[in-house]
Amino acid sequence: MTSQITMETQTVSVWGDQITLQFKVFGTGPALVYLHPLGGFVRDDFLDDLARTHTIYAPELPGTSEDDPFAIHKVNDIPELVLIYEEAFGKLGLRGAPVIGQSFGGMLAAELASFFPDLFEKVALLGPAGLWFEDKPWTLDILTAPPSEAPNLLFSDPSADRPRAMLALPDDPKAAVDALAHLVWIQGCGAKFLWPVPDRGLSRRLHRVTAPVLVVWGEDDRIIPSSYAAEYGARVPGSAVHVLPKSGHIPQVEQMEETLALVSDFLSNP
Amino acid sequence: MKLTYIQQIPYRHLRDDFAALHSESVVTNPFYELVDRDLLHADLRDALYESMHAARAGFDAVGLQEHGSSSYDINPNPDLGAAALAYATEAEGLRVGIYLLGRSLGKSREPVRVAEELAWIDSISGGRLLAGFPVGLAYDANVNAGVPPIETRGRYDENFELILRAWTEREPFAWNGRYSQSMGVNIWPRPYQSPHPPISITGIGNPATTRFALERDLGFNLVTLGSDPKIGAAPIFDSMWSMASEMGIDANPYRAAMAVTVLVGETDEDAEKLYSKHLEYHLSRGLGHIPMNRLALPGGISPQGLKVLLAQPVPPANLPAPSYAEAVRSGLVVAGSPATVRETLADYARSFRVGQLLVFLQVGSMPIELTKHNIDLFASEVAPHLRPLWSEYDDDNRWWPVALGGQPASNKQADTTGARLK
Repeated sequence: MTSQITMETQTVSVWGDQITLQFKVFGTGPALVYLHPLGGFVRDDFLDDLARTHTIYAPELPGTSEDDPFAIHKVNDIPELVLIYEEAFGKLGLRGAPVIGQSFGGMLAAELASFFPDLFEKVALLGPAGLWFEDKPWTLDILTAPPSEAPNLLFSDPSADRPRAMLALPDDPKAAVDALAHLVWIQGCGAKFLWPVPDRGLSRRLHRVTAPVLVVWGEDDRIIPSSYAAEYGARVPGSAVHVLPKSGHIPQVEQMEETLALVSDFLSNP
Repeated sequence: MKLTYIQQIPYRHLRDDFAALHSESVVTNPFYELVDRDLLHADLRDALYESMHAARAGFDAVGLQEHGSSSYDINPNPDLGAAALAYATEAEGLRVGIYLLGRSLGKSREPVRVAEELAWIDSISGGRLLAGFPVGLAYDANVNAGVPPIETRGRYDENFELILRAWTEREPFAWNGRYSQSMGVNIWPRPYQSPHPPISITGIGNPATTRFALERDLGFNLVTLGSDPKIGAAPIFDSMWSMASEMGIDANPYRAAMAVTVLVGETDEDAEKLYSKHLEYHLSRGLGHIPMNRLALPGGISPQGLKVLLAQPVPPANLPAPSYAEAVRSGLVVAGSPATVRETLADYARSFRVGQLLVFLQVGSMPIELTKHNIDLFASEVAPHLRPLWSEYDDDNRWWPVALGGQPASNKQADTTGARLK
């Protein structure tokens, strides 16, 4: 399926021309913004299916594009990151599009919708970061644990095909080293906005969100407990909250069909 | 040759099953489960006694490092111990350097306070302070102090520049940095030494760090983690000196220092008998018991550095800590008779062109009397043979306090324009 939809890279100069934000663009139909997780942008079956009915615009966090790793040093904090993305969406004519954000991207989508309530038509959050409460603590172990522990942190069943495919490294040793080095660096870029306690005050801003919100969480999420789904629900009146069994932190991979059905319904309903 | 005695402050009474029960000697090691407060009280006191013993034995300087939430070096702010040593040596009239190796500037959230505290120590000691500024280990800067790994280097750069200005500007100045702000930086006291205390940068071999030290005429301290200096340190110093040559900078060996752990006995066998269990404690329950994920975190190492690091063979997991014999054979420590030790150290000094040795003589569970024995043997049987090395450069040692026979720091050191360690 992947090979049938060509993907292009669009760039947009923002932040007083200090940053060239790169967007992966693919698909056909009305625009749909996708904000990637801490591991960077990865094209998968979930996105390819959505690309049959939407044109997906996936901006890459500054520093995570292959050719400009140090762009991250030009962004200080969440408010600056939000302004950078908002400016880019404006320049590409994406204001008013729906957004999907996964994990770190979910936090960013919620931040954007809190700062700029009119920016998105709809907001779909898949296992979003952004909230942290003492009575349900979660850690950044995914960044600090040995790589061998990542599959168990990420997935309910790390032995299933889709999780294994997602974590596979290239066979060529040099390509594998390059891929792993890139992955570690881009995790460090995202960590700038999560470290050391992943709370930048979103809980005090979420009440500003006015767009319809869908929250999807994996019941077995071992990174951010699924009890945070209800916390999002309580803070965004009218939001639809779904907790999916047999899924860990990435429902778009582990319960792809069900997540796709929920998101597609949410996007197509008026 | 300048010889500095470095003191770590380990808790010396961890049980034999510590490594089996606890995954690390930093960050998560449970204090109340492990520590008897009276033993800790004695360990802190003994560490300062040992440093004083080294000062009396004739070391050129005594030094301390910064490590928080650690049981292998209980030293969250080395200025505390340095202040005590500065006063005590002053009271005894000991003309010895106080070497901070130092304050971690990637970790510090209060750089003005660092500048002010060090100036205080410099002042009370009458200008005997040497200031080392390491970036800081990941577990300390990022985990303990909560600095995002990707900001560690930027914070180091900014703090370094601010401290140099705080030390050298005659008038108060405003500071509007990314990481700290002040409407008026006006530290009291200013440093006793003019233009400022000798500064050295601690590194583990990144060529960007050695280049920065050369460009700015700063000292460079090499701390290698667990490899034979003839394999690990040699290429780093080779590259430093060829870089100096390309840059038209003198090859003065006093620019360079290396850290080394030394255990001296009457004979090689005697050294093994005296020290093996304490070294093995150090390697299995102390410095050697820090997992890799506490030393490297995403964002703390550049993409290029990561490619180099990840291309290296992965060491097998759960390797047992090396034995005394393995540690000696692999060059991890220098141990044996005075003759063995001085030959090895003289070889390092000559072949790496190093004018300063930073010597660890207390390790792990080693009790104070044995530490003093090690200090005494080093001072009487080893140091006299090393001292004459590089004496032809004694009249041009810009990396040592004037009060102790050095020359003032050059203008290049105090020049804060472009003070960036990239």
